[in-house]
Amino acid sequence: METATRQIVAFGGGGFSMESGNPLLDEYVLGLARGERPRVCFLPSASGDADHYVVRFYRAFPAERCEASHVSLFRREQGPADLRSHLLAQDLIYVGGGSVVSLLGVWRAHGIDEILREAWERGVVLCGLSAGSLCWFAEAHSGFHGSSRRVDGLGFLPFSNCVHYERGSDHGLAYHAQLREGMGAGFAVQDGAAVHFVGAELRRAVASRPQARAFWLEPGPSGIAEVELATAYLGEGPQSTEDAAIAA
Amino acid sequence: MIPRILTLGGHDFSSRPPDRAVSELMLRLATERAGGRPGICLLPTASGDTAEQIGRFYAAFGERPCEPSDLSLFRLGRRPMALRDHLLAQDLIYVGGGSLVNLLAVWEAHELGAILSLAWRQGIVLAGQSAGAMCWFEAGITKSSGRPAEEAGLGLLGGSLCVHYNNEPERRAAYLDAVGDGMPGGYGLDDYAGLIWEGAGPPSAVTARRGARAYKVTSTDNGVVESPLPARFLPAPAPAALREDIAEFRRIKSMRRRAGWLG
Repeated sequence: METATRQIVAFGGGGFSMESGNPLLDEYVLGLARGERPRVCFLPSASGDADHYVVRFYRAFPAERCEASHVSLFRREQGPADLRSHLLAQDLIYVGGGSVVSLLGVWRAHGIDEILREAWERGVVLCGLSAGSLCWFAEAHSGFHGSSRRVDGLGFLPFSNCVHYERGSDHGLAYHAQLREGMGAGFAVQDGAAVHFVGAELRRAVASRPQARAFWLEPGPSGIAEVELATAYLGEGPQSTEDAAIAA
Repeated sequence: MIPRILTLGGHDFSSRPPDRAVSELMLRLATERAGGRPGICLLPTASGDTAEQIGRFYAAFGERPCEPSDLSLFRLGRRPMALRDHLLAQDLIYVGGGSLVNLLAVWEAHELGAILSLAWRQGIVLAGQSAGAMCWFEAGITKSSGRPAEEAGLGLLGGSLCVHYNNEPERRAAYLDAVGDGMPGGYGLDDYAGLIWEGAGPPSAVTARRGARAYKVTSTDNGVVESPLPARFLPAPAPAALREDIAEFRRIKSMRRRAGWLG
């Protein structure tokens, strides 16, 4: 059997949830999914399965472009009875924003964490923003409900992650503090930027806004080293030859 | 302060008389604890923090003599909150209905169980309906995954609880089977029936609708037995609009008295 390519695209923030009228990140992940009309399943668990969020997902992923579905873990009686077979049959699983702590709690209660690992290993592309980005990493820097805290993620990607990153912001400085206190090295990603992994290796950083960036942060003897990653803008404009090669 | 818990089989926060009676009971328990204007906090976790559940809660308590608040574990809301400090400053914590499995999983992830247990020992009244009632027991019968199934709760109260007893025959049947198969016995609560637990004593039953009952459910040598409990009827207070009319009437009467129009 052919070994499937394991792919995760983690958005710092963006896509239909945050960038109304800018589909660049959503188009990017759809482009990675298998087939002409990929099967895309939305997991809004981190929002508590908010109705309005589910509606916005279906608007952003219309039937002519893909075969869209969602799984609500608060209304199990309405959705697919067999979560495992439904999720494994997808080409793309898209995880929405909200609380990463609540997200992981609910997923574990329904065995979704195990199913997602299996899906990833079988080549289903996993993506998401905010809590839906943090969840894939070994460690997440969460700023939810006031105090910043370190949260154990699913650990598919052996790094730490900080979303909605801004240099010098309270949230950004708190991530630096976490790194100094022993959190593993990781990716800080701004709104409008995303990091695309193949296996556990960074394939590229992309952006839906020309200025959005992703960074690699690593604690060292002289403090935190912050490396700006070459981030490819997905919109109109000059593209590097490398971008053209990947797009082809 | 004696630890107190109010467990309800099912209700809504509408303006209908039985719903007003339940809200009034909660307000009374909270006011007793506060000795003044009480803090009442909604935990809408089991619903996924739906705007609908939060809105209905504020519709019931927004205009009453209390400080209502809600604590969302899914959305940042307008202001981030220190979970522990906020909960321990309340007089009554009300847990709404929804998925018992998700409720307990999310609470565990946020380490809320220990905070709620401490709140209870401090005499903060714990209350809830449906999943928000079963969560306090050792076990309940949940439909979180579709079919009725046994689920462990926080265990502040011994035994088990089954809610919506009159309205959901399949849940009741699953409960009776489970108790027969060794699940700890406990209670069945119809919609609008409730149990008030004070300290370690047996609960007292209340009902906000005629015919709504609370049952003690025990496994015996002759099978599982349901015994209805004597329940105190909770009268509904006057609806909000009527309360305003009465207040207005009293104001006019006192003005007239001052003006010498009345004797």
